[in-house]
Amino acid sequence: MRIIIIGCGRMGAGLALTMSQRGHAVAVVDKDPTSFGRLGPSFKGEAIEGIGFDRDVLLAAHVERADGLAALTASDDANVVIGRVASEVFHVPRVVARLYDPRKANIYGRLGLHTISPTIWGISQAAELLSYSPLDAILNLGSGEANIVTTEIPPLLVGKAVSELTVRGEIHVVAIGRSGKPFLPTLGTEFQWGDIVYLVVLAASTDRLRALLGLT
Amino acid sequence: MAMKVIIVGGGKVGTSLALLLLEKGYSVKVIEAEREKLSRLQQDLPADVVALGNGTDPVVLEAAGILGVDVVAATTGQDETNLVVTNLARFAFNVARIVARVNNPKNAWMFTPMMGVDVAVNQADLMASLIAKESVIE
Repeated sequence: MRIIIIGCGRMGAGLALTMSQRGHAVAVVDKDPTSFGRLGPSFKGEAIEGIGFDRDVLLAAHVERADGLAALTASDDANVVIGRVASEVFHVPRVVARLYDPRKANIYGRLGLHTISPTIWGISQAAELLSYSPLDAILNLGSGEANIVTTEIPPLLVGKAVSELTVRGEIHVVAIGRSGKPFLPTLGTEFQWGDIVYLVVLAASTDRLRALLGLT
Repeated sequence: MAMKVIIVGGGKVGTSLALLLLEKGYSVKVIEAEREKLSRLQQDLPADVVALGNGTDPVVLEAAGILGVDVVAATTGQDETNLVVTNLARFAFNVARIVARVNNPKNAWMFTPMMGVDVAVNQADLMASLIAKESVIE
């Protein structure tokens, strides 16, 4: 695949190296040529000096043939503009824009931009690591707005139905591991001793889930 | 009913535009992100016209009344900021008419309806053509 990365900071350079090691053709763009030093000698791709929304620069990076583009400059505004231009004007099939401001991430997502927010992700990771919890998040969905978590069924729920651990739109049991094998329960399935429960839960509803599990 | 206009960017262009529109009886809100510029703005414009905040922040735009507005003008000195404003105004808030200032003529190609821009005002081109016109001696 042909990948364009705008912004050769720590994240841009790291992503460029990762994608290049995976065998993709990578072009990195940055207005500061000294930033290309981060790429190191093993980088096989192209480094282009220039502004990420400069048409000539984008064309030099062959944006019209690109399979993917990541906008990772230090400016949220620039990343949004590059992302919109890449998808709307040049029809790059996969575009991702980094946003530091978590409040913007949601609304720009509604503009059809795939955004990643290290801030949101970092907050949810740090909060998770700081608070001891027998709830293990095994998968973050989005930027951690929803998670798939797992826990052993607590004694108070043994013999109770899945519906008692379900809050519509907030907490859903997606699978139960029983005798070493997972299955997909219905709302009427009863929990047994030793069940490992897999749930999908909104980050905002984590405390509610803890309460249902008797963890608080 | 008075036309409602939001101007993002309270620099010289935004301020002059606000004064012009106020004179015509429009209802105007100017959003300025830099606190240092606020006191000057408040001297030049009526106090209720000026709002402090980042015009690329949806919360700020909503507080300024973007949902009931007829026109948004993005007049900051940064093209990428103006384009984020126009994208939000069109695609998140469905504003009917959107005007944007082009600072660097190299960026003019992005100021299209696809980016939410109805009218792009390219200051360098405007100045150049005016000066060229006035330089001709008949």
